This record gives sequence, structure tokens and C-alpha cells, in this order.
Amino acid sequence: MMGRTIFIDPGRCIGCQACVSACRECDSHRGKSMIHLDYTDEGHSVASLPTVCMHCEDPVAPCAEVCPADAILVTADGVVQQADTTRCIGCANCVNACPFGVPKIDLQAKLQMKCNLCYDRTAYGLAPMCATVCPTGALFYGTLDELRAERPGVQVADSFTFGDVVVQTGVAMVVPADKVQWPVPGGLPVVEINGVDVSGANPNQGGGARQEGVR
Amino acid sequence: MTEPPQTAEPTTPEPEATAPVPEARAPQTPAAVRRRAVLAGTAVSVLLILAIVFGSRLLRDFDSALLPYAVATVFLAFGVAYRYTVWVSAPGARRLFRQGWRSFFSVANFRRAPTALPRMIATYLGFQKFLGARSHARWAAHQLLFWGCVLAALITFPLTWGWFTFTSNTGDGPGYEMRIWGIKVLGFNALNIIGWLMFHGLDIAAVLVIAGASYFLWRRMKDRGAVTGQRFAYDLIPLIALIVISVTGLLLTFSSIFLHGGGYEFLAILHMVSVVFTLIYIPFGKFFHIVQRPAAVGMQLFKYTSRRKDGAGEELQTCRRCHEPIDTPEYVENLRGTMQDLKLDFDAWAEYCPRCKRVLRGNAYLTHVKKGFK
Repeated sequence: MMGRTIFIDPGRCIGCQACVSACRECDSHRGKSMIHLDYTDEGHSVASLPTVCMHCEDPVAPCAEVCPADAILVTADGVVQQADTTRCIGCANCVNACPFGVPKIDLQAKLQMKCNLCYDRTAYGLAPMCATVCPTGALFYGTLDELRAERPGVQVADSFTFGDVVVQTGVAMVVPADKVQWPVPGGLPVVEINGVDVSGANPNQGGGARQEGVR
Repeated sequence: MTEPPQTAEPTTPEPEATAPVPEARAPQTPAAVRRRAVLAGTAVSVLLILAIVFGSRLLRDFDSALLPYAVATVFLAFGVAYRYTVWVSAPGARRLFRQGWRSFFSVANFRRAPTALPRMIATYLGFQKFLGARSHARWAAHQLLFWGCVLAALITFPLTWGWFTFTSNTGDGPGYEMRIWGIKVLGFNALNIIGWLMFHGLDIAAVLVIAGASYFLWRRMKDRGAVTGQRFAYDLIPLIALIVISVTGLLLTFSSIFLHGGGYEFLAILHMVSVVFTLIYIPFGKFFHIVQRPAAVGMQLFKYTSRRKDGAGEELQTCRRCHEPIDTPEYVENLRGTMQDLKLDFDAWAEYCPRCKRVLRGNAYLTHVKKGFK
């Protein structure tokens, strides 16, 4: 279950990119930002979504499972590390298997890189760089109790659905109180894309059945 | 909460998804994998023992002083074969392994790109160009380490197996003969440059290894990126072991030249112990990357050959939403198969690029979780 982790609240994100800049300062991947900040409906809305590694717990780290070189290790405290530089062969399996679209790859260096929850900081009890600089609290690092001390009554979810699969994660998202009993939709099945209904056209996307009472 | 329909920017309609053709295979139990690994390890060890016996002409050329080294290589062979078998039994590695060899044995691929494999072997395994993209200093240090180890392995392994012999008809030289499996391949004078190189090959290797390993040891203590997450047994022991082997090896030469053999026996035992422990450690720790790295060539060959369709130019599968290229259709199919093997039943997601996955998830949250997000 959730210990000290990141809580993401997209509703608070103002798309300022402070997290993106701060992430570059992380010692384990200096100069390269591992956080993603996406404007989900660019041109129509200012909505933005910060994405850090969700540190999947069940199934544990799909990126590590599909890795043919056993390069992605999960620490005892559940942090999914970036690829071991010695082992990674740059095949991009993790990049394309991650349901959250997190890992990045340097094809020249044949090396995957991803958010490792600022292990150099969190191992010593410090907040990750992104959560340290976020001006609006869209990225909060701490325990659920600490979050609730600041935001009384806030509800969080750590389960996401991708078709029939529910992925439980180490990182959680803030959700409205009436939505907390359901896993958060992860985007799959895609029923409409670029304005076209594809729900009936693609039988390979999984049934998308809700799994109740998973959390 | 209701079923979450997803929306995205209106651009162009999408083609229908292609159904992957999974290579269905019953999951292997850990016990079955272990059994196979023990069999493979035993088979390779027995083969090596036979190769030692016959390669040393029924042990006539076998140097009994090197027996501990030879025994360690048999254990090494068992360990490497065991771990290799376990490794390639996992779904991700197994599928890639199969695809890599399929690309290798394809006559059509060979006709189309006969130089692809040698080029990749030179690039990825020999000169390790990808390391240069990570850091020039690391590349240089790794090259020193790599070529030093290759040189040392080429000299010592056949020597300990009794495959190489250096003999002199005159008893104490300077004319020497080098024989492989009893067959004379080279005659040389121990006092000229060839002779010096032949008898100091391991000293040269030791200097290369000490230079490379020292840089990495320094980096492990100073570089904050390297320090993050490093483990003593995994990251530091291999470097220390290489340095100990090289230093004790050089001290043997030092002893014979400057100390008239003083302390030689003690140094020889120290050197032997460090080598034996390192050889036995190879399958378990960081050194296993030596065995794994050829997978990079298999993977690249698979991707490269599946990109080169006859006369049709490059064929890449694009993201179903934004049409950015993802990879070759064969690669995506292979990944989807791997995900299905692992019961990661969101494999259809592999047909979307990472950014579109995030955007679609953001839209789902926007539409169905927290409308105020807008």
C-alpha cells in the first residue's frame, strides 16, 4: 500500500514546466528531464497533465517484465529504477509496453531512462525535485496523512484501468470523492480517436469492463 | 463511474488495428526451467572437460600448476550456461532470442545485407559505439577494460586448458615454439620484440585493465549519477576484483625480474585465488553483461532486417493516433506477443506512441474523473 509517494493532482497543474526544469537537476540523469508535461487538449484548453513514473505494483512494473535484458530493477521499497546502464540493450520494449507512456530512450546511447522517484533524494527522505518546486501542489510528495493534513478530505486513487486490466501503482492521483471507489480510466480502450468512433472497429483493445471493488 | 469514452484532436480517421499473431506457448514452470538450466550447465561443463582432455592431447600438455584455473573455468561454464538458460526462458528474452536467430539464419536477409552482421558485431561488441554516446570518457575507459580482458582471456584460457604450449628445444631458449593442440604454429626468439610481446601479453593486458578499472572506480566514488543506486557487491566488487587480478599479475612479473622470484609463490597463490573467485562470480553479477550483450546484436539485426523490405523501402508502424513512427510492424507484433505471454492484456496500447497514451489518459481523466480539470 501507499507509503511516502507522489500524489498527482492534474486539476492543480498550471503547465508552468517548473517540474520539467527541476527534473533535469536530478543527479541520476543530470541534464535530461524525465517528467512529462502534456497539454491534453492543446489549442482548446489549458489543461495539462504531469506524468511521473507510476511505479506499478500489480502487475509489478510491466516495463521490467517485458525487458529482455533484465535491466530494470525494482527496489525493496517498490521504486522501479531506470535501466541498468550495463544491461540495457536499447530495444524500447519498456517504452512501448508502459501503459502510462513513461520511459524515454536514447537510441544512440542504446539506453532507456525514466523517472526513478529521485532515488538519490527520496532514499534520504527528501522530496523528488518535481514535487519540491511545483508551485501549486499538483505534485505532492509525502504520505496520505500528510496530504490530508494539508487538504482535508482529499481522496486519492492508485488503480488504473487499461481495458480489462487494472494496474495498481505506487504513485497515486487525486480524484473527486464520488469517483474514489472506481479505478481511474487509463485511456484504453480507445473508443473515439481523432473524432472517429473506433470502439467497434478494434476487437483487440480489450473489453474495458470495469472491475469493481479492486482498490 | 461509467465507461470512459476517449476524445482526441480531430485530424484524420484511423485505419483498423492489425491483430497480432501471438506465438502461443504454455507458460514454463520455474522447476522446468531450472531442470533445463541444470542440463544445459552440465552439458556445457562436460563438453569443456572433454575439450580440455582432448585439446591437451590427453593431458600430456596440461600444466598441473594451472589446475585450479581450469577447474574454475568448468564451474564458470556451468554457471554461465545455467544462467543463460534461465535468462532466455523469460518471455521477453525468449522471443527476442528467437527473432534474433531467425534473422541470423535467414538466407534472404544475408543476401540483402551481407555486411550487416559483421558491422553490428564490430559496432556493438567490439568498438561499443553506443558507449561513446553516453560519455566519451566512459567509452575510452571501457575500451581499455574490454580489450585488456579480451587479450588476457585469449592468452590464459587456452593456456590453462593445455591448448597452448611454449617449448624450447634447447632447454632454456632463446628459441621457442608455440604449439596449439600439439601443432606448431610459431617459432620465435624470446629475446626479440616478438618474444617480449609473447611473454608479456598479460602484463600489457593488466596495464590496460588497471587504467580502465581505475577510472570507473574513481567515477563510482565521485560521479553523483553513478553513486545514486550503486551497490557494493554489484558495482564495486567487479572493479576491485579486476584491479586485484591485474596488480597481483604484474607483481608476479615484478618478482621474477626485480626480486629474483622473491615472494613469487605467495603472489602466485594470491593471484590464483583472485582469478578463481572472479571466474566463479562472472555468472552472478555485473560481469554477466558480457554474456548478455550479444543480445543487442540480435535485437538490432531483427529490427534492421525487418525494416528492409524488398523494394518497398522502410516500413514502420505508426502511432494509431498521431502517426509518429513507433517501430517495425514485426517489432510491435513481437512486443505484443511478449505482453500476452506475460498476461499484460493491454498490449493493444503498444500501437500508440507514449505521448498519445499520456494524452488519452489525460483526456479520460478530464472527461470522466475531474471535469474541473478543464
